[in-house]
Amino acid sequence: MNRILYTLLTLSFLSFMSSSSRTAFCQSTAKALDEIRKIGTGDQEATRASALAQQLNRAQDLTLSQTLLAMKGATPIGRNWLSGIASSRYRAEKNPPKDELEKILWDTTQDGEARYKTFVWLTKGNNKLRSEWLSTLMEDPSPELRYASIEAQLPITKEAASLQKLLAAARHPDQVVDLIKKLDEVGVKVEQSKHFGFLKNWSLIGPFDHVGTKNFDKEFAIEKDWIANKIQKSYEGKNGNVSWSEYTTEEKDGNVDLAKVFSNEKGCIVYASTEFDSPIEGAAEIRLGCINGHKIWINGELVMSNEVYHSSSQIDQYIEPIQLKKGKNRILIKICQNEQKEVWAQRYQFMVRISDSTGKAILSN
Amino acid sequence: MSVNGTSAHAEKNWLQFRGSNFNPVVSDAKLPIEFGGDENKNIAWRTEIPGRSVGGVIVVGDQVITTTSTGMDQRRIQLLSYSSKDGKQLWEQEFVARGRPFCHPTSANAAPTPASDGENIYAFFSSNDLACVNKRGELLWYRSLASDFPKAGNDTGMSSSPVIVDGVCVVQVECQGDSFAAGLDTRNGAILWKIDRPSKANWSSPTSAKSADGKSWVIMHSGSDLLAVSPKDGTVQWKIDIGCSTYSSSLAVNNRLFVPAGGMTAFDLSSVGKEPSKLWDENKLNSNPCSPVVFEDRIYAVNKSILICSDIYTGKVIWQSRIAEGSVWSSPVVVGGNLYLFSQDGKCSVVKLGEKEGERLATNSLGDDVLGSPAVVNNAMYVRSVSALWKIAE
Repeated sequence: MNRILYTLLTLSFLSFMSSSSRTAFCQSTAKALDEIRKIGTGDQEATRASALAQQLNRAQDLTLSQTLLAMKGATPIGRNWLSGIASSRYRAEKNPPKDELEKILWDTTQDGEARYKTFVWLTKGNNKLRSEWLSTLMEDPSPELRYASIEAQLPITKEAASLQKLLAAARHPDQVVDLIKKLDEVGVKVEQSKHFGFLKNWSLIGPFDHVGTKNFDKEFAIEKDWIANKIQKSYEGKNGNVSWSEYTTEEKDGNVDLAKVFSNEKGCIVYASTEFDSPIEGAAEIRLGCINGHKIWINGELVMSNEVYHSSSQIDQYIEPIQLKKGKNRILIKICQNEQKEVWAQRYQFMVRISDSTGKAILSN
Repeated sequence: MSVNGTSAHAEKNWLQFRGSNFNPVVSDAKLPIEFGGDENKNIAWRTEIPGRSVGGVIVVGDQVITTTSTGMDQRRIQLLSYSSKDGKQLWEQEFVARGRPFCHPTSANAAPTPASDGENIYAFFSSNDLACVNKRGELLWYRSLASDFPKAGNDTGMSSSPVIVDGVCVVQVECQGDSFAAGLDTRNGAILWKIDRPSKANWSSPTSAKSADGKSWVIMHSGSDLLAVSPKDGTVQWKIDIGCSTYSSSLAVNNRLFVPAGGMTAFDLSSVGKEPSKLWDENKLNSNPCSPVVFEDRIYAVNKSILICSDIYTGKVIWQSRIAEGSVWSSPVVVGGNLYLFSQDGKCSVVKLGEKEGERLATNSLGDDVLGSPAVVNNAMYVRSVSALWKIAE
């Protein structure tokens, strides 16, 4: 079934590309273009793509528009190959067809990266046009165009109503924080942690042993029990028995400061558990900022794992797709602190939220 | 003239970080002592570049090549070529970072200096995207190493620059996740070899040297080791357990290897088939964070803002002098006996390297942060500041 569907999609791509071109588009070029769209990881794929790119760079019948249109539905690596070929086409076509590029830019079903590229080309050296177009793009599905739109409007927007409109559209954390600050300056209070949808209420248990940074992958009893949904009131910890305690963060960035709660304990692991009462069923994202090694499980399934210590932290630092059940979803985070002694290596904290694929908060009921 | 043959003459290209032979010395070029400032003195041209870069610039023929990272989270990564004559853009290539683009505010996704074999150009980014283009800017191959090795990355930013040796592009990707060094076929981007490296962040760059019997080595170091590998297959030729700087890079000159370890440690590379023996170490000769340079039997290191001059045969410190204010990330170059060093705030100290002391001849300001290292070709110095590209020449 999948093979049939795949063949049909390929045929429809080839047919679409042929019909949408300004010039004749030979089958071998169309085939190479289709193949490079699907390039994946690894050596074999890279060397195959290199050969295909040589063919496409030489193809007389390939246009800039066809290259950009092919980015729709391409793999992330395929899109970069096509972006590279498109850059050469753009230089080669002495008068790139503005009408075709504009058509791609304003067609929100086309690939966002291709649309952003056309936007940059079409507005190069024309600040007036750039500003005019950006003022209309703040709710664009392309994260880059949306970001650029808000970036352009942020410094010149002063009124509360306009700022609120921008805040509703903004997805990038830096822009959201800036807008909330600007709104505060004009007398409009926005609860930042609520806007982001940070999870504030946690049950914490620890510390467990992590001396020698050796237990990142150790399945402590608490971990096994939580996954089996059979947690106990207390467990044997690093310094004796430990039991659950409730913690609510009041920080605007949703920061749960474990160093404070656990008296700067080093070489340790703490587990944080919460429930997320989802208003929706289906795809979502979990977004974590954490400067310590961590793992996250949702409803018993491991969804994130990064053994990285003291290498910066920010809102939405780690993003993973998840599936939410409508109603109660159980979340467990394992946060690991190492024993580095440097002043900059003492933080032990995390901040987490649930969002849709654009970064808009999904709030727990 | 250098007894040790450390100088490059009339460089026509500057093909990688610290120049084509890794020792950024040009003996017979002439550069202005004074430049920049309010009058833009001796600035042949200046070209604004969107986005941000902390990497150095390279020169391939008449093309000055740099990278930049722009847009949301600096995810748009670009490779740009400009005419050395007038600074006009010749071509650009652009990709979207597929690895982690995050970095410290001081740094940029465009942090490593690109490299070239004189034919093609290889651009590497903190996000572990690696692309090869020809001199017309046409994409020849592209690798997302973070897609191949998903835990490769460092959110304070990575900056190790690639080197090209014997048709192999060598990258050092050392971080707490997937930590490795790899050699990629310059013809098609295939990974010829990959070796595990210590799981700790390392921003230093590999360098190249010849063994006493004429074989090519790629030399790399980390916080816990120093090793040489064969560029063709990654075979480890020798390995020494030693804690080295994770910022500055090693330098091989005439069978001597200078390693930023315990200050500076020098090794003898002249024995065939043997692990290099230690010649000396000097803890006062600390190269931090920029990389050392060897000129006329002396090695120069910059420790934050102090320039230290030592004898290459003994390591003994001959003189030292404060030459810069504030942070320094860019590595120095020596041109016509004068050392040029940019501090982060874009001020360039020009120091005449004397027998017994360094004489500061000028301090020149570009008015823009500079973290990358300059390139010197045909009596001109090319500098990538964070937001512009400069040609400095009389």
